[in-house]
Amino acid sequence: MKIWEGVEAVPGLPVVYIKGLDAIVCSDLHLGYEGTLADKGTFLPKMNLNHIKGIMRRAAQKTGASTVIINGDVKNEFSTVHTEELNEFIELAGFLTRDLGMKKIIVIKGNHDNFINRVTGREGIEVHEREAILKGFLFFHGEELPGGNAGFLIMGHLHPAVTLYDDAGLREKMRCFLYGATNAGDNLLVLPAMSYFAEGVSVNLEPVSRIAPIFKNVADVDSMRAMCIGEGETLDFGSIRDLKKASER
Amino acid sequence: MIEYCKAPFEREESLGSLNPFIRKWFEGRYKELTPPQRYSFKLIKEGRNMLITAPTGSGKTFSAFTGILSDLMDMSVAGTLEDKIYCVYVSPLRALNNDVYRNLSEPLEQIFSKIALPLKKISVGIRTGDTPQKDRQKMLRSPPNILVTTPESLAIILNSQKFLENMTALKYLVIDEIHELANNKRGVHLSLSVERLREIVGRDLIRVGLGATLSPLDEAAKFLVGHREDGAERDCMIVDATWDKRMEFGVVCPVSDIVNEDDGKIENAMYKKINGVITDNKTTLIFTNTRSGTERVVYNLVKRFKYGEESIAAHHGSLSRDTRLGVEEMLKKGKLRVAVSSTSLELGIDIGSIDNVVQIGSPKSVARAIQRFGRSGHSFKDVAKGEVLVTNRDDLVECSVMLDAAKKRHIDSFRVPRNALDVLAQHLVGMSQNKRWTVDEAFALVRTAHPYHMLDRKDFLSLLEYLSGMYVGLESRRVYAKIWYDEKERAFGRRGKLTKLIYFLNIGTIPDEVAITVMNKENKWIGSIEEEFLSRLKPGDVFALGGKTYRFEYARVMNAYVSDAPGQTPTIPPWYSEQLPLTYELAIEIGRFRAALSSVMQGRVKKSHAVKISKNMLKPDAKASEILDAMPIDRNAKSSIFHYFAEQLLFAKHVPNDRLMLIEKSHDDERTLVIFHSLYGRRVNDALSRIFAIMLGDETNSDVAVNINDNGFVLAVPRSKKVSTKDLDRMVQRALDVDMEHTLKNNIRRTEMLRRRFRYNAARSFMILRNYKGKKISVRKQQINSQLILKAAEEISPNFPIIKETYREIFEDVMDLPRAKLLMKGIKSGDVKYKIIETDVPSPFSHMMVTMGETDVIMMKDRREHIRELRRQVLSRIRKGT
Repeated sequence: MKIWEGVEAVPGLPVVYIKGLDAIVCSDLHLGYEGTLADKGTFLPKMNLNHIKGIMRRAAQKTGASTVIINGDVKNEFSTVHTEELNEFIELAGFLTRDLGMKKIIVIKGNHDNFINRVTGREGIEVHEREAILKGFLFFHGEELPGGNAGFLIMGHLHPAVTLYDDAGLREKMRCFLYGATNAGDNLLVLPAMSYFAEGVSVNLEPVSRIAPIFKNVADVDSMRAMCIGEGETLDFGSIRDLKKASER
Repeated sequence: MIEYCKAPFEREESLGSLNPFIRKWFEGRYKELTPPQRYSFKLIKEGRNMLITAPTGSGKTFSAFTGILSDLMDMSVAGTLEDKIYCVYVSPLRALNNDVYRNLSEPLEQIFSKIALPLKKISVGIRTGDTPQKDRQKMLRSPPNILVTTPESLAIILNSQKFLENMTALKYLVIDEIHELANNKRGVHLSLSVERLREIVGRDLIRVGLGATLSPLDEAAKFLVGHREDGAERDCMIVDATWDKRMEFGVVCPVSDIVNEDDGKIENAMYKKINGVITDNKTTLIFTNTRSGTERVVYNLVKRFKYGEESIAAHHGSLSRDTRLGVEEMLKKGKLRVAVSSTSLELGIDIGSIDNVVQIGSPKSVARAIQRFGRSGHSFKDVAKGEVLVTNRDDLVECSVMLDAAKKRHIDSFRVPRNALDVLAQHLVGMSQNKRWTVDEAFALVRTAHPYHMLDRKDFLSLLEYLSGMYVGLESRRVYAKIWYDEKERAFGRRGKLTKLIYFLNIGTIPDEVAITVMNKENKWIGSIEEEFLSRLKPGDVFALGGKTYRFEYARVMNAYVSDAPGQTPTIPPWYSEQLPLTYELAIEIGRFRAALSSVMQGRVKKSHAVKISKNMLKPDAKASEILDAMPIDRNAKSSIFHYFAEQLLFAKHVPNDRLMLIEKSHDDERTLVIFHSLYGRRVNDALSRIFAIMLGDETNSDVAVNINDNGFVLAVPRSKKVSTKDLDRMVQRALDVDMEHTLKNNIRRTEMLRRRFRYNAARSFMILRNYKGKKISVRKQQINSQLILKAAEEISPNFPIIKETYREIFEDVMDLPRAKLLMKGIKSGDVKYKIIETDVPSPFSHMMVTMGETDVIMMKDRREHIRELRRQVLSRIRKGT
């Protein structure tokens, strides 16, 4: 599903493929999440790493990409690092290079990614501290406004989703890409979370500017469009403004 | 074998079975034996298990303890009484524990003060969550002979090695308030503790169960004594002394025409009646059904009759513990003229002498009515007196049948939750801390507890797999596993240093609950509701809060988001989650009464009576009078019931009953209403209404609003959707063929109810801890995390034990799916008929149902106005001869 020229959402996956970089781009993996929760007394079944591996495998098969760009929040704890986080990251990096044959892994650090450099050097991973401009695309995690300038801005962090209720009152929550333009006319794309457990923030129901400062003054979330991820397909749901109206009834 | 005691023992036989010192003390203090005591002294001497049900003031506690004290006294005299625990007493209430502790300590003091011989004194100790650490330590060094405790503290003791060393001589186990335990998970938890205790002690205990009336008694007895490892049930004698206390009770209808009388006048009449009772008696206890109702009654009595703070008080669960204790103290001292309570004072704590009980509105169960009346008349020789003041027509019929059933000693039944996997998970962790178990021996032990007697081995094994962390990879089990389990060796045991601590800090079955914040979409605070209420809300439901109406939109963790719905009819009353559901048996009794009365009225009440009916002046004929006169109800009540039935008969030609489900298609201004007169208890209706709502939704392809009530349920679709009676018939036929369990599972899969219940179950099975490494985990965090667990566990297996248990709890404990299935089977076989009718105005029997959401305090007037308008339309149509 085309978002912009040369940028496509891989159908049914929270991943885009950028042709010019031959890269799949994703965000918010939150590896090691279950381990950190177990330390606090919640024994969540381990799902996340295998879930992410599955997505990466399908994305690689569908696109044939040679590069993976992770747009922040590879791991979960922000104030510290948990052994499970590093272990899972090492395992994922190995999987990407050995099993999927990725030539390059690029990580843009997010607010949860302290101490990540302890392992990235060893695995030959390219790390950018805050943001990176690659062939005209500005990648940044999104907890802060980007410093640089580019015509295409790509962020994560928000974990965007759309929640709809059907006639019987049953809730349907779908992860989505948000895409549109900033007030200054730059193209803006927000990636959904990869993490199995991050169901996301319902952008049609909840305020978002506190989480993602870009929607304070730089861009208007209502004018963004949502592209929702369903089973095996990715569908355009129109503007957030319209979705908000629909859920008001 | 479970046996009923037929005849009591002679006085001399009973007293003769006691130790002489105890006998002397007993005879010095009491002139005669109370009914349960005439059985119990001898039975305890014989070492029999025994279940005693009797009302308050029947000397129940001493019927158990006198025999036990006598035995301990024998030991003391023989010089064999050691510093060991011989008797454990368990009650679910700390307040009751304190009472019992005091009531044992004082007589023992008296008894030994009169004995000149240097006998070793019998000691009593208390251990609850309130007991300070230093007292617990002291108890380890010098254990009491009788230990008074709670189910939770008992479970902790089971894993305290040092304490167990004092239990080697344990002989007696007394479980009090068994009616408060046998029907819930707290009791299920206790039943496993008891069997574990027996296993640790290494021999059978003499078990004595005490409680208010409950039915079936043999089920309660099985709950108490459990089963032997060979599968046979253990012996138990049942002493039912419920009816040895005389009771006088009746239904009071405050006005002669409860439908048409002016609002203010009904209220005036009601409070006048209440005040009359208060004036005629020394101490009156008033029960309402909700906490807000309690506050309202106190407010009105103070305002109208100038009762001062020293003579009236409220007592309910939302008040602080200190306030409640203060009220209990004042009652005990006989200082209060009147106490008003929701449910909190129906329990067995000592509240002194009550002369009369007034119940406002239906208590929803015969057993509860009897128990509440039983709070009056302190000694068993006094007469228990009570009145039920009814508030509306359906309430009137319900209460009349209820008291009639009470008179005939027909009591509604309770049900023991079966095979609760969450509770079992907790105990398996506890058991594994005690020693290494083979799977067979542990399974056999668990099955001796009555709630697990039919436990499936597969479920047992799935719990061992879960607890040993088999749902995560090997490398993570160090953190996840709570037990060690070897599938090949078929054995399990302790694992992990932290597990014992986890067990102690998270034991118990009562979930953490907090209030849900209600906000609008702009995040503006509006008020708060209870979690249980939130779990009942579906998006689109309208409810009242703080005098305004709101539409529920969605919930996120501990917040409920709403939008304004000014002027809209609430679909769910705010007290809904607090209101106890009508029991199945009582619903059936009401159905039978409807059948009996309507069959003698059929053909005799004629259209020409319409004017008289509208003026409330038609007289029942001989046959109808015969039925009504036999009931414990006043004149106003008889007249109101008769007219109510007459209207229904003339208007709809049918009165629904236990074997006739009336399905009425009607409408209001905007909606087509499908009214199911389904009188089988609210828990059955909870399941049925969902099934039919799904069917109607399919049939009309639209959103269906559902209103559930004890007397039936109402489905509503926009009036633009055409539904014919033929469509309805097809819908019923389809509903008869669906797999109800499967359909309901899909229906509740993504509801708040499932999410909340799953959290309770995940916490009870230690999948999500409430307290870890000394840190309390907020309910909010618990809820967020349990939603994640639910999602992941569903993917691992839909039969993951905690998920399986959550559905079981919803289907069997919250709803009554088994009976709903039976009912559908009955309809299919023709045993229960259904009849579809069409009305232009809802028939009289549906008026309470279609206006149910409006029964909020603030809306009372509007609702009454609405009902009257409906009635006017009904009467005019009867006259016109539709």
